[in-house]
Amino acid sequence: MRENKRIIHVLVAICLLFFALIAYLTYFEVFIKGDILSNSYNRRLWQREEEVTRGRIYDCSGVLLADSVKTGSKPERIYPYGRLYSHVIGYNSITYGKALLEAAFNDYLLDIKGRNSIFKFKDRLDERKEYGYDLHLTIDHRLQELARELIGSRNGAVVAMNPKTGEILAMVSKPDFDPNNKSLNQKWEDLVESEDHPFLPRATQGLYTPGSTFKTVVSAAAIENGMKDIKFEDKGTVTIDGKKIRNTNGKAYGTIDLTRALAVSSNVAFSQIGVKLGNEGLHSLAERIGMGKEIPFDIHVNKSRFPYGEMGKTDMAAVGMGQGKMLVTPLHMAMLTSSIANKGVMMKPILVRYTANREGLREKEWKPSRLYYTMSSLTAYRLRKMMEEVVKNGTGKNAAIKGISVAGKTGTAENELTADSKDKQHAWFIAFAPADDPEIAVAVVLEYSGSTGGKLAAPIARDIIKDWLAR
Amino acid sequence: MLKLLGLKQPVVLIVLTDIIAFILLYYYKKPADHYILLTGLLVISLIITTYFIIVKRRLGDEYLFLIVSMLVSMGFAMIYRLDKYMGSRQVVWFAAGIILFFLSYTFFLKIKILEKLMLYYIVVSVLLFGATLVLGQSIKGSTNWIFIGGYSFQPSEVIKIIFVFTLACFFKRSDQVIFGSIRLGFEKLGRLYRLAFMSVSFMFMGFLVLQREWGTTLLLFLIYISLLYVLDNNTVFFLINTAAAAAGGVAGALFVNHIKVRIDIWLNPWADIAGKGYQVTQSLFAMGSGGFFGTGIGMGRPDLIPEAGTDFIFAAICEEMGIFGGAAVVLLYFILTYRGIKIALSVKDVFIKTVALGLTCMFGFQTFIIIGGVIKLIPLTGITLPFISYGGSSLTTSFIALGILQAISQISSEGERSEEIAGE
Amino acid sequence: MCYNEVSVMSFIYDLNLNYGGAGVFEVLSSIFKYILMTVIYLFIYAVIRLIYLDIRSVNAQGKGAGKNTPYLKLINRRENLNFKVEETYGLEGNIVIGRSDKNDIFIKDPYISGTHARFTQREDQFFLEDLGSTNGTLINGEQIGSRPVSLKDGDKIHIGQLDFLFVKKSK
Repeated sequence: MRENKRIIHVLVAICLLFFALIAYLTYFEVFIKGDILSNSYNRRLWQREEEVTRGRIYDCSGVLLADSVKTGSKPERIYPYGRLYSHVIGYNSITYGKALLEAAFNDYLLDIKGRNSIFKFKDRLDERKEYGYDLHLTIDHRLQELARELIGSRNGAVVAMNPKTGEILAMVSKPDFDPNNKSLNQKWEDLVESEDHPFLPRATQGLYTPGSTFKTVVSAAAIENGMKDIKFEDKGTVTIDGKKIRNTNGKAYGTIDLTRALAVSSNVAFSQIGVKLGNEGLHSLAERIGMGKEIPFDIHVNKSRFPYGEMGKTDMAAVGMGQGKMLVTPLHMAMLTSSIANKGVMMKPILVRYTANREGLREKEWKPSRLYYTMSSLTAYRLRKMMEEVVKNGTGKNAAIKGISVAGKTGTAENELTADSKDKQHAWFIAFAPADDPEIAVAVVLEYSGSTGGKLAAPIARDIIKDWLAR
Repeated sequence: MLKLLGLKQPVVLIVLTDIIAFILLYYYKKPADHYILLTGLLVISLIITTYFIIVKRRLGDEYLFLIVSMLVSMGFAMIYRLDKYMGSRQVVWFAAGIILFFLSYTFFLKIKILEKLMLYYIVVSVLLFGATLVLGQSIKGSTNWIFIGGYSFQPSEVIKIIFVFTLACFFKRSDQVIFGSIRLGFEKLGRLYRLAFMSVSFMFMGFLVLQREWGTTLLLFLIYISLLYVLDNNTVFFLINTAAAAAGGVAGALFVNHIKVRIDIWLNPWADIAGKGYQVTQSLFAMGSGGFFGTGIGMGRPDLIPEAGTDFIFAAICEEMGIFGGAAVVLLYFILTYRGIKIALSVKDVFIKTVALGLTCMFGFQTFIIIGGVIKLIPLTGITLPFISYGGSSLTTSFIALGILQAISQISSEGERSEEIAGE
Repeated sequence: MCYNEVSVMSFIYDLNLNYGGAGVFEVLSSIFKYILMTVIYLFIYAVIRLIYLDIRSVNAQGKGAGKNTPYLKLINRRENLNFKVEETYGLEGNIVIGRSDKNDIFIKDPYISGTHARFTQREDQFFLEDLGSTNGTLINGEQIGSRPVSLKDGDKIHIGQLDFLFVKKSK
């Protein structure tokens, strides 16, 4: 019967509808749910908070940086040092959600996996007191305090790390905010709308032109491309592709070799090196040092950018000097500095050293591991020598410490504001010490500082290194 | 091995499911509630008894009730878990439903003039509509509830079934009874037949629109258009109807604020998470928290879902029984629909065929509409998930419809037999 | 049976008393969720399987729906039987009859063997042979062996508890 045929059509239609339901359910489960579950309106996130005491967070020597206190039935997160760790630990708020380490390590702090594991059911049957795991960071509290004090009222970031292990010793971003709940609730609107963007962790997510600090890796590329003995006639300016390129204040340095060029931060020399390295050489350099690559870290790090396709001579010159369209994060620069200090081996940055239970028994450890080689160890050695010269006889004199050999590089980066107004450059300084057996590497950047790296940023690096090495 | 445990028998599997569910529920809340075990026993006995009555006395298709009892069992697990009292009331409705199931079965088989009572159907519907509009209370945005002495009842549930019968009368074209021996013949209508058909149908839908029951309106329309597609030969008429409905739908979407709001929160519920988008977003959170196997009964937070026992019960199932649980529910409804279609295919009489098809479409489309809305595949509407959602009106009318379907399956198998005996 | 149930119940009751609280429940729920899913899907599978088998047997019967195909007609009264059996079974080509689901015609009569007998067709003629069944196959009261015996219209076939009439209309 004709009707029967059509009834089958209806069946097929309903079948397709049901199939769409199942397909969408699966699609939702696989693709969509991850993004929405951490929404702060999902009260399931908070159910765990009420059952379990959230783990504490300590620095490397046992200073308490975050604690959970139960006021009545509601748990409250207390940060005794407030703003100091706002861009490392983040915050834990019922209204506004979780940020940075509090979010990334939520599973550990609340021991979520332990709860759901069938293998731990014996523990659950006993219904013991419930604590999450404590985090023990690599950060050194004293150094962190010092770094923040040194930045003062300026905006920017300081990252100090151990070049051999990748441990982050200090990480400060300014501006910062008070992550304690009371203050957060009061000030949220202002913080969100402020033009300074206090919620942006500059150390890991701020993107800046590296400026002359980039000349270090350009030098490495030059050395590895047979230019280690190159000499330039520096008359203060040079014209490339019709554009005039000048040294700072137009100073002429005469005949200079690579070491001297780096020490005085000669734009004339490095712009030409950039052109000599060419399109391939520069792209290869960018690749080797990790531009555009994901940096695996305990909290999110923005990727550094090298947005060039086929480069013209002007671009090559700019890149050679560390200007142009490149952007780097302070953490990335610290990691690069560390790799130079560490014989060309870039170590994976670590913020959380281990987790432990209340009794102190370590549960999970993160050991140092290698990321990749940015340059050969011979090149790193040569570059180190050059950077020592920067501090001894070049633009980095402000970073010199009596009795200790410091290797460093200044940077004064042009940016989107410097085209229209003076005094808006970013002031950079990167350094490591002691040069022959480095124990600490530092990257400092001061936003729109209106001065040079040598003047403002170098002393900060010096004081941090001094304090660390004195212990 | 499976055979030894009788596990190939679906009935055994349902009993097993219920045992597992009720044991979990027993332990769920402290202090342990012994009544739950009794209730579990009651449910299991009801299912086993009804199933064996159907099989032993050859009362037609045996799969219909099997599938429905699995659905009901899954529903019990969730409803009981949400609220003990809701759960026990649902069991009472289940028992009532089974009685109604047998009653409507007998009724449909015995009473022959059902195809001639269209005018009565229409009058009853209009009266029910009228009563709802006058006496009805608006709950959650739609005026759909009548309260009589402490019990609430949704007339739109009954009207769905009456609608199917009305349409079936139209297709059968028997002489309709007015009073005593006064008849109304379809030939009298002549060319007005189609017009009358369309008007009556859209009148039903219109009343629901007045009540702001968008879900049921959509459902009636889908049933209407499917029956039209199958049974009518006039392509033009079909297209006119589709166009009219499309126009109505678009107009609604553009001009009616309630509908506009529903579409907005369907497209982006996150824009107003705390307000209008609350239901959908909480439902999505719940679904996402379960993973493929669910959190386990009692381990999730379906209590955070608004309307978790009624319209959004599917989200609760997805949270605690996982995506696999949700998929199982869809599969079960699919098999139910398939059985209904098979029954519709196997009867010859137009009236009975239409009733079977109409009721099957009712189950199928209703399921799709509410699940689709809950998971945000389509905009949300307020209708229940048949057999699973908590609610006396919903459960009992679903069982009445099931009883009719069962009766039709009996008619169909009797018809087969008489064919065989007559020998080709 | 009863004793086992009682001991299971008291074990569960005991568990609740001694450990009590959320601990037991969570363990139970976490383990049971997998079992529950398995049971539910087994159910769906079982139902689908039964439906499929139904369709297959209807088709086997329906195959003989043509006017001239021979068929088996059941003589017993169905109401007296505990198992499901159709009134007619169409015969075409080779058909194996037995209790197992794997056969073309399966009937859950306990007196019918797993694979009981086979119908074969050669051109216009139909034959029946016994496949080593326990209770034997009879044509018109006489037991047949494994040698195919030809069938003619009106033959009475006895298999298990069932009596069939072999109907073959001549052209």
